[in-house]
Amino acid sequence: MNENEIQLKVQALVDGELTGREAEALQQRINDDAKLQHLHAKLTQMRGLIADSELPRPLPESRDFYWNKIAETIEHEKRAGERAAPPTPASRWLLRWLAPVAGVSALVLLLTLQQPTAPDLGITLNSDHELEMSDDEIDVMTYNSDDDSMSIVWLDYSMDIQRDYMELWLD
Amino acid sequence: MTLLRRHNLNRVTFLMVLLLFAGGGLASVQADSITVNARLVLGTSKEKQGSKKVSESIRKRLAKVFKWMHYHQLSSKKLTIDDSKIVTSKLSKNASIKVTNQKNGKVSVSLFSGGKMLLQKTQTLRSGQYMVLAGKSTGDSAWFIVLSKSN
Repeated sequence: MNENEIQLKVQALVDGELTGREAEALQQRINDDAKLQHLHAKLTQMRGLIADSELPRPLPESRDFYWNKIAETIEHEKRAGERAAPPTPASRWLLRWLAPVAGVSALVLLLTLQQPTAPDLGITLNSDHELEMSDDEIDVMTYNSDDDSMSIVWLDYSMDIQRDYMELWLD
Repeated sequence: MTLLRRHNLNRVTFLMVLLLFAGGGLASVQADSITVNARLVLGTSKEKQGSKKVSESIRKRLAKVFKWMHYHQLSSKKLTIDDSKIVTSKLSKNASIKVTNQKNGKVSVSLFSGGKMLLQKTQTLRSGQYMVLAGKSTGDSAWFIVLSKSN
């Protein structure tokens, strides 16, 4: 037993909470220890002081009647709680169906709102090229340089550009 | 003037601040317009005497991709396009381009031949980048329309 436990035991002895054998053994120990004797004396003195200064609180009714009244009050409040606003069949039906529907709707809404946001993978896409062909019969090949400094669209479309250019000047 | 007196500012400081604001506004207005260089280029296997050659930067880039080693610049046009505006340029008798200055540096180029639109290419065109539209020409040659941003 450490010192703190002994002190608590002494306190319990003063409060009369120890059994006969325990009290006897502890009393023996107190008699052999001056420190414990001092503690015991102090605690006994303190208890006497508190007991003397505490005002008696007499019950307004007899003990049985007083406790019976408390028990009745608790029972009354319990019954009142049970009776309070029992849900009507319609509202009960609504609750039964609306609660899960609202939950599922909220979940769907949350997922829908989150979907368009692409996860940020930290990748920067340099190419933002859009190509729109107005003639499906023309074959097209596209090329982008590695550093994206040159983009080429090769059309399977022949033009006599030199003659055309000269004609533009002659016109 | 009460404001100037209260904050102990003289007129010269006030005018300088005013000019700074006006300059900033002007710069932002100018930033909206772009200048695009459109070149009509003929690629050949044999060198053509007396024709103007394309810049070495363009020649190197094209020769890296295509079989032709000689690139002759038939014409070059500088197109200044305001924000959200379209400029049309006739490059040859039949070929013309329509360039649109879209927002955020995007440029849209439509190629027409004989009044019929062949394609439309849209991309962000930064300084130093080239957009090339090309196709086969007569004999062992090819036509190229090389577009780049000047500012």
